[in-house]
Amino acid sequence: MLVFAASDKGGTGRSVTSANVAFRRALAGDDVAYVDFDFGSPTAAAVFDVPEAMGGVESGGLHTYLRGKAAEPVRVDVWAETEHEVLRDRPTGAGNLVLLPGDRSGGEFAVGKDVLRRCTDLFLRLNSEFDIVVVDLSAGRSFAMDMALEVTSLPELRGVGSRWLVYHRWTRQHVIAASGLVFGSRGILAGGVARGHDEEDLANRIRFVRAAVPDPEAAPWAMVPPAQSAWMRKCDQDLNELAAQRNVGYTRMLGSIPLEPVLQWREQLITDEDVLSSRVANMETLQALKDLAQALDDDEAWGPA
Amino acid sequence: MTAWGRAADPVLICGEVRTGLLQHSESLPARAVADLLRLRPDERVRISERPNGYAVSPEVLTGVDCRLPAAGGARTRVVGTVAARAVVTEGRMLQATASIVVAGPGPDVRHPWSHYLARPGVVEPLGKLPERAVADGLLAGRARPGELDLGAVAERLLARVARHRALDQRAPFKSRRTRLRWVALRALDGEGPSLDSFTLAEDGLRTVELRLPARVSPAAAAALCEDLALHDWLLTTLVRMVERSRLGSADAPEAVLSLRPAVDHLLHLWMPTAHVDRTLAPLWDVLEREPGFTRQWQTLVQRIRDQLALQAITLRRDALTAH
Amino acid sequence: MTDAAVYRETTAQPRTQSVPLAHVSLELGHLYMEDFEGGADRLAEHFARVRPWADAVHAMAAVEARRPRVSTCFLIDDYFTRFSTPAELVPMVLAQAEKAGLTIDYLARESACAVADGTAVAEAVESRLVDSPAPGSDGSRPPARETGWLANGERAPGLETALEAMAHVAPWQPPRETGARRHSVFLDVELWDEKDGRRTWSCPFLAAVWQLARLGLLRHLGEPVLSPRSWPEAPFPRDWDDLPPVIQLNPAAAPFAAYRTWSALPTRFLPIEHAVRVLLDQIEADPQAMRQAADRAAGEGLPLPDEIPERISYVFYPGT
Repeated sequence: MLVFAASDKGGTGRSVTSANVAFRRALAGDDVAYVDFDFGSPTAAAVFDVPEAMGGVESGGLHTYLRGKAAEPVRVDVWAETEHEVLRDRPTGAGNLVLLPGDRSGGEFAVGKDVLRRCTDLFLRLNSEFDIVVVDLSAGRSFAMDMALEVTSLPELRGVGSRWLVYHRWTRQHVIAASGLVFGSRGILAGGVARGHDEEDLANRIRFVRAAVPDPEAAPWAMVPPAQSAWMRKCDQDLNELAAQRNVGYTRMLGSIPLEPVLQWREQLITDEDVLSSRVANMETLQALKDLAQALDDDEAWGPA
Repeated sequence: MTAWGRAADPVLICGEVRTGLLQHSESLPARAVADLLRLRPDERVRISERPNGYAVSPEVLTGVDCRLPAAGGARTRVVGTVAARAVVTEGRMLQATASIVVAGPGPDVRHPWSHYLARPGVVEPLGKLPERAVADGLLAGRARPGELDLGAVAERLLARVARHRALDQRAPFKSRRTRLRWVALRALDGEGPSLDSFTLAEDGLRTVELRLPARVSPAAAAALCEDLALHDWLLTTLVRMVERSRLGSADAPEAVLSLRPAVDHLLHLWMPTAHVDRTLAPLWDVLEREPGFTRQWQTLVQRIRDQLALQAITLRRDALTAH
Repeated sequence: MTDAAVYRETTAQPRTQSVPLAHVSLELGHLYMEDFEGGADRLAEHFARVRPWADAVHAMAAVEARRPRVSTCFLIDDYFTRFSTPAELVPMVLAQAEKAGLTIDYLARESACAVADGTAVAEAVESRLVDSPAPGSDGSRPPARETGWLANGERAPGLETALEAMAHVAPWQPPRETGARRHSVFLDVELWDEKDGRRTWSCPFLAAVWQLARLGLLRHLGEPVLSPRSWPEAPFPRDWDDLPPVIQLNPAAAPFAAYRTWSALPTRFLPIEHAVRVLLDQIEADPQAMRQAADRAAGEGLPLPDEIPERISYVFYPGT
């Protein structure tokens, strides 16, 4: 299954959350590929702690491949190449976890017929090999997003399942922006329909993920003075209303990741160790990531909203 | 003229095979396979039904003018065509092979292109060719830019077939492709074919070194190596499936269930030398003695069948006690 | 192998049918609408100019073989423009040739080089193009193909390369002929164009197909295509579509296909034929058909070049 990770704005934690989801699925035994389509700022290698591919690879990455200058893009076996001390020992029963990095000096480029064909070949190949293929798209309406919409509309991919995760922070501006990214006149739905997707079918394959969500009932927010606390609750309620109005409400939400220092300050994978022994990360965050990872192919979470 | 092709004095044949599962929910019927492999509108797909379903595409050529990798850094420029073909076995396995016949020393300048097109699948060196160094260079790792990349040619052909619209892309299980690179030097006069090495290298790469008499055609050599690659893939894939199923662990029913696709789609594919030229078939015996391909396969299959039988007994007993 | 195989599957070992071959196929002309509009006189003038060259070709063939087999052919364009009818035109062409002392053995329709008896010949030939690799082509990427075009070398860098190189502005680079002798004669041949979804093959492309047909190198699923059918005398049909792709007018003629071809053409065809050579240089003819011709020539003790362009020759006579 292809999982496209999109967001309207930067700073939504899209890459780091998606990488954590990929990591969770691999731990659970799935073969997972993480494809860094964040052309312009390839960051995935940093999250997976793969120094070789930090900031993209020198050559032979996804840009080189899509532009037809390499027969196959470079692959990084995360379990083997990571410097992360916990990850280096691949847990028993874990599936493959492979990163396909972008090129260091990549950037955007024009999408012609040849690029689409190569992208088609790439998706087909990854789909044949991996249970989950996470494709991290750049923030906003990028050409990578257009390419993803175009390729998934082709008859060659009709048998390949694809789902979209749209990340946004839990603020007014982010909720409005995320809604615009999906439902706006130049949004994912409109772009998809223009490329031959069925509107209803595509809409059923898009879900929102709330990131960096403060929980007014949990620490440290629960400690604040009552007035502040009441204000926060009100804000949260207003946001929920706004989200519902803009079609970003609960029914279209797949997951909600709490505000988490480890994700905010140092974009990294959250291991069970981080929660259980060193306790630098919160249990709630870990649980939210696990839930999100599981929801990817939980058919009850998808379909008509 | 020898069977090694229309090359003046062929010294070496080499190729790369990429092997993978055909991405379709069930095995593809023969007619659909013929459609899949019709790479050229005017040439037929070769189809056999016995002892198993087997189809070979027409060959397609790619022009090259580059260096051959050579151990020790020798630089030999060759010009000619790489021949590539796709093969489907039992409507279930897809392979693509890119291969060349390297001719003996040639003149120092490039001929008109039509000269090379009259010798499909042959590359001619400009000047001398250190064949041993080239053979070693070809078998060692990845080609550097500017050096012949047979793998890329095979990969493109595989991708071309794999994106055919007849395929529903819903294969019964996930699997990895394998790469097998092979080099055949000429056997000494009067000596028969021999398999000198079969190596499992890292990153899914296998290398095979052969010695073949001049009468063996490049197509026959390709068919032998495709057969080796196919069975190596079957073994590699089944080993991994059994590993992942955690057969013999506490959750036996689930483990057995997860092996169902192997039973449905893989177990019947084991048939070494089904389409190998009979003069080359004995080369398989080497691998049967050491490491024993069929022995390992049968052990795995037996293990799966035993577990299935055990599960069946458990299920029947449960059913009886329930009544 | 000493013992013959017991079990055989015909679909597993397809056969390629061979075609009879003459020594030389001599094309006496190629008729376009503008020639036709010139009337019978223009045809008479054409055949009169061709006659001495035809004699020369016969004489040359006699040097190589004791009993030379030379067949003649004539091509009528019914592809780019439709004019007249076979019933009217064919007898006139035959009469004018006869007046000049020439016999036309075979007559072909140009549209048959695109599609003959339902077989998409041109499309099949296009699929047999194998681009001549520029030095440095290592197989890692497909040949830089402009859809619908074929060149004899490397094109000047286009927009994409220019954009990539934006950081350091690249100076203009000329196109380069592969295998040029110091200086390039770069040629880029248009294979076809498309309008309203309909593809029209270019004149050089169809001419290349025509050459392959005359060299006996075309096959479709192992069967010969553009095989002549006997049509010894009038009446000829009133519609071009009712005329077979190639008809044999002279029952005593040598075979239509031959080891080599000669074409007698006015000088204005020179650029077209240059393009034809560029195309033929990059077409991989059916290997079985190539082998059959080579074996047959060897059996007759005749030299036959491996290279297809080396098998074709021309006489360009003054005229437009």
